[in-house]
Amino acid sequence: MDSSIASILLLDGVTNGAIYALLGLATVLVFTVTRIIFIPQGEFVAYGALTLAMLQTGKVPGTVWLLLCLALLACVMEFVERWRHLGDINRALKAGLKTLAFPLLIALLSIWAAPQQFPLWVQAALSVAIVTAFGPLVYRVAYQSLEAATPLVLLIVSVGVHFAMTGLGLLFFGAEGFRNPSFWDERFALGPVALSGQTVIIFVVSLALIVLMWLYFEKSLRGKALRATAVNRTGARLMGISTHASGQLTFLLAALIGALSGLLIGPTTTVFYDSGFLIGLKGFVAAVIAGLSSYPGALVGALFVGIVEAFGAFWASAFKEVIVFTLVLPILLVRSLRSGHSDEEH
Amino acid sequence: MQLKKTLLALAITAVSSTAALADIKVGVSLSLTGPGSGLGIPMQKQLQLFPKTIAGEKVELTILDDASDPGKAAANARRFVTEDKVDVIFGANLTPTSAAITPIAFDAKTAQVSGAPVPPQAEKESIIFRLPQGFKVMSHAVVEHMKKQGVKTVGFLGYADGYGQGWLVNMKPMLEASGMKLVGEERFARADTSVTPQALKLNAANPDAILVVASGSGAAMPQLALAERGYKGKIYQTHAAATPDLTRVGGKTVEGTFVVSGPALLGDQLPDNHPSKKQALNFVANFEKANGANTRNQFAGHAYDFQVAMEKIIPMALKKAKPGTPEFRMAIRDSLETMGRTVFAHGVMNWTAADHEGYTLETGVMTKVVDGKFKVE
Amino acid sequence: MNKKNLTILLLALAVPVTAWLPLPDFWIAQLNYIGLYALVSLGLVLLTGVGGLTSFGQAAFVGIGAYTTAWLTLNTGMSPWLTLFVGMALTGVSALVVGFITLRMSGHYLPLATIAWGLSLYYLMGNLDVLGKYDGLQGLKSLSIGAIDIGQGRLFFVLCWAILIAGALALTHLLDSRPGRAIRSLKGGTQMAEAMGISTFRYKVTIFLIAALFASIAGWLLAHFQRTVNPSAFGLKMGIEYLFMAVIGGVGHVWGAIVGAGLVKLLDDYLQVALPALIGTSGSYEVIVFGIALVLVLKYLPDGLWSVVARKFPKAQRVVDWQDAADLPVRAKPAIGEPVLVVDKIRKQFGGLVAVNDISFDIAAGQIVGLIGPNGAGKSTTFNLVTGVLSKTSGRVTFCGQDVSALPSREISRQGMARTFQHVKMIADMTVLENVAMGAYTRGSSGVVSSMLRTNQAEEQRLMKEAQRQLERIGMGAYMHEQAGNLAMGPQRLMEIARALCCDPALLLLDEPAAGLRHKEKQGLIAVLRQLQGEGMSILLVEHDMDLVMDVCDQLVVMEFGTLLTRGTPAEVQANPAVRAAYLGTEH
Repeated sequence: MDSSIASILLLDGVTNGAIYALLGLATVLVFTVTRIIFIPQGEFVAYGALTLAMLQTGKVPGTVWLLLCLALLACVMEFVERWRHLGDINRALKAGLKTLAFPLLIALLSIWAAPQQFPLWVQAALSVAIVTAFGPLVYRVAYQSLEAATPLVLLIVSVGVHFAMTGLGLLFFGAEGFRNPSFWDERFALGPVALSGQTVIIFVVSLALIVLMWLYFEKSLRGKALRATAVNRTGARLMGISTHASGQLTFLLAALIGALSGLLIGPTTTVFYDSGFLIGLKGFVAAVIAGLSSYPGALVGALFVGIVEAFGAFWASAFKEVIVFTLVLPILLVRSLRSGHSDEEH
Repeated sequence: MQLKKTLLALAITAVSSTAALADIKVGVSLSLTGPGSGLGIPMQKQLQLFPKTIAGEKVELTILDDASDPGKAAANARRFVTEDKVDVIFGANLTPTSAAITPIAFDAKTAQVSGAPVPPQAEKESIIFRLPQGFKVMSHAVVEHMKKQGVKTVGFLGYADGYGQGWLVNMKPMLEASGMKLVGEERFARADTSVTPQALKLNAANPDAILVVASGSGAAMPQLALAERGYKGKIYQTHAAATPDLTRVGGKTVEGTFVVSGPALLGDQLPDNHPSKKQALNFVANFEKANGANTRNQFAGHAYDFQVAMEKIIPMALKKAKPGTPEFRMAIRDSLETMGRTVFAHGVMNWTAADHEGYTLETGVMTKVVDGKFKVE
Repeated sequence: MNKKNLTILLLALAVPVTAWLPLPDFWIAQLNYIGLYALVSLGLVLLTGVGGLTSFGQAAFVGIGAYTTAWLTLNTGMSPWLTLFVGMALTGVSALVVGFITLRMSGHYLPLATIAWGLSLYYLMGNLDVLGKYDGLQGLKSLSIGAIDIGQGRLFFVLCWAILIAGALALTHLLDSRPGRAIRSLKGGTQMAEAMGISTFRYKVTIFLIAALFASIAGWLLAHFQRTVNPSAFGLKMGIEYLFMAVIGGVGHVWGAIVGAGLVKLLDDYLQVALPALIGTSGSYEVIVFGIALVLVLKYLPDGLWSVVARKFPKAQRVVDWQDAADLPVRAKPAIGEPVLVVDKIRKQFGGLVAVNDISFDIAAGQIVGLIGPNGAGKSTTFNLVTGVLSKTSGRVTFCGQDVSALPSREISRQGMARTFQHVKMIADMTVLENVAMGAYTRGSSGVVSSMLRTNQAEEQRLMKEAQRQLERIGMGAYMHEQAGNLAMGPQRLMEIARALCCDPALLLLDEPAAGLRHKEKQGLIAVLRQLQGEGMSILLVEHDMDLVMDVCDQLVVMEFGTLLTRGTPAEVQANPAVRAAYLGTEH
């Protein structure tokens, strides 16, 4: 292998790694605030890419209908719960409608906009909005009542949500794959490697998101409130931080990151309804390498996974997955020994 | 309706033994999800056009998804022979799933018409009849074309599954026999986010031609990756990629690719004296009427051929026995074996007692992608 | 014939009777699959439901069992009855390797690791030429005894379900035995178990191995039933489904595995036909329903379906049949006045913080020594250093003449030091008797196999007799059959003491035994302590209730900020101005 091949592989690994890093970040985010190991993170990615693909063909994506159904369900659940809790029908109604408002707006907008074939960036923005609206709804419907459950139960719920979302993805998008047009067709020469505009966008967006997240959680009050919820639920509630709102906000961010990732990989990869799982899993591996707690660590872990994957595919393409997932084990072991053993966590 | 029938059948079976229903029952197991869905779904679409009656008898198709999993395919087959007591099985569209069905079909003495080129099944061979051209037939077409193009070195970039394996295993000896050398062998998976490393390796070996072995929309990404690496040689695709999905996802990049195909898709380009021309035109006309222009598909063509076969042999079998009886199933199997030369959309089929594959080596047709359409070379 | 044996006989008979009934062949085929899946889920009940270790990788172990028998029978002509054991051996070895790596991980690292190696094995199986890559291996023969083919249909049903029920019974027996109690303690954290002398790591590996072996047997059966093996049955999706079956059925209940497997298979089958008819197009949409069902079950019925059944048929009270059992041997204890515990300058530093600063004291046989001090003085840390829960930075601990400074807590427990905990650590769904019997773990020796085969009854009776004796010794005999979780705080603390007594200790360490007790209960506690002292027991006590401490202790050790302030009799300590200053501040 010469240096030009190595550098191309490195670029490929880092590009994929950037996407895995985004997903790793979302995974760490969700876990640190809600203790949920969110396996369906990859599904947001697939939904994002495929929603845009559907909009490109001028049809209303199935995700819009799912959004409406989910929003209605969440609205009813919110209404019932508030009514039982407060006894006041008006306030309960208001709460329910609040849940319904944004998704309904987005859905109606999409239904109107889909046949209009707006330019790419408009459709991209719309796709992101649709998938992002999913986040808080998924939390409300599946997880909110289980807030106090053990991480194991939450993990199994995540599995259930993953199954449901994958099956629905098949229903809406069919079994064949799609590829989105590139956002930026330019090509740049960087020594022996050719950098495509798309790759540049991936790097820039990933970096920007990482910096933004770090700023948010370190500097803003809302971000710190989210971290507080993760450390001690009851304490946070006593301080006036709504754990429900924290959970929903977290999922909103996770869905947003997932949707953006979907847009980023759409042009470079053929996305199928079930592509999300494996991508999400690798992002997940990256997060675990970071101990599910550190953002820079997730970035490093993700780059590691991407590069191992690229070189592994070069040397023994059939065994690429075996290499990636086997290498994870010793890393997990080191991580686990270092983080020590907490008796309560067991 | 199907559910009600199943429940009713269950109830009747629980009380009495086999009930002889007058309908002719066909059990169909296809990959409607999973990696094989690109082949299974078009077949399903074609089977939706299957006639409701043949020779005056009602025909009932039960289509079940095996999710590209041989275990599920075997379970489907078991349901067909024990629960629904079908008269013939159509299944499946992938080699491992079809092979899983064969022992069950054999034990139940129910003929299996397979949409996959299953390798010979030893003593169970008598029960299985293959619709597609085997890997050998298609490889032959590719190798002959390569020879004509003066190709000396060949690279392989294929799925890491049975489909890829089947092509590799058949291509290798043929290439060697023709004096061509296989200089690179890379595998990838449908869900991979990138095949750059594999493309890189093959490009470094710089063969005259690269054979991409994948199906449907999954066949586009390897080509795009090769183009990105600046590969300038000839690219060949297999018949599983002879679908509009390839051109849809691949766009301009796949112009000029050589794609091997059965004659079913090329009715309008075949010479008038080609035996399959009429059937091919008929198939395309009906399929595109139901599914839209330019949706014609290789695998749907095989499902169409199944219909042709059934329309020919069911009257023959009806003369010997009534539907739902073991004698009828035996008659179907025998008729398939003795029906003689039958013109399919995919060529001229001639199953005999010794040969359940049927097509001759010349059946494969080489096409080239021109303006997003497949033009015969 | 007692009720238990009758149930077993009925179950054993049910299998051949069901096979003989004129059920449709299709139902029998379904039951065969259900039996296979239930076998794997059974392992998960033990691993996840009881042991608290989530594994998504069981399907990979099924794969190893299946591929082993497939390759061997196809390529070497070995008899399937032999390949079963080869497969189990191979699976066992891989389980040990994987287990040693992953079971040292805690919390959420374990399920992730199981996903990782599950995927790794799946892709390995799918890419090896010798295993037929993704097409797998075909053409396997059915199982047969001589000329009779038992590999299909009804005869297979009998074979499969006989194995399944034997497995379920073995597990039920295992869980009600000495190793079973150890396994049931894993879920609640390792501290208490280790203090009772149980090697939690060893048991984690053990249940992991047992679950893997169950999966391997299921793989062997599956291979010869389907007569084809293919990687798709051993991937992550299937691994998740097995866990799903266990959870729906009730992951904490052995029979829940069968209920769960049955329900999921039947639902899967029904949906496969019904959903396409409903939606209008074919496709595997059952996953949607399963996903939603899983979420609903966890929200509204977290203990699974079997828990509903179990509630209707509460467990019968244990039959007391051990009156004639021999007593357990007791260890030789030091005579009154001889040194039992000598603590020599033990020190614990957490980075720059010195929590325990060169503390020295000693306890003689028959003494009750109290360890007191203001909050944050380092009393519990000292406790943990002495009992081996925390490692020392420096210092020596000598117990009955032996140097125990470097020993882990379970070894120290074996030497004769037993303890209770500041927050009661018990297993809420076991009875008081069973909890207390845990303390006698080190005095028994029956292992997993003898427990499964129920050949350990003699020893069990002796352990139960001992547990009852200790309960009666402290006046808790009436609570014997009560569920531990139903007890109030006071009786719970006494139960912990009884459990510690079952270790046959020379030294009893009690961590705030009076916390949360009412006045009368404290009086009862004092009486018990005096009684134990009268019988020659040495006791080290950490306590905040000064009246109790001054009343019951012979010697007091006072700590402040990790340092030894003073020691002496209660009268001396009460008069000491430094002690008063430490608790109340200096006088002006």
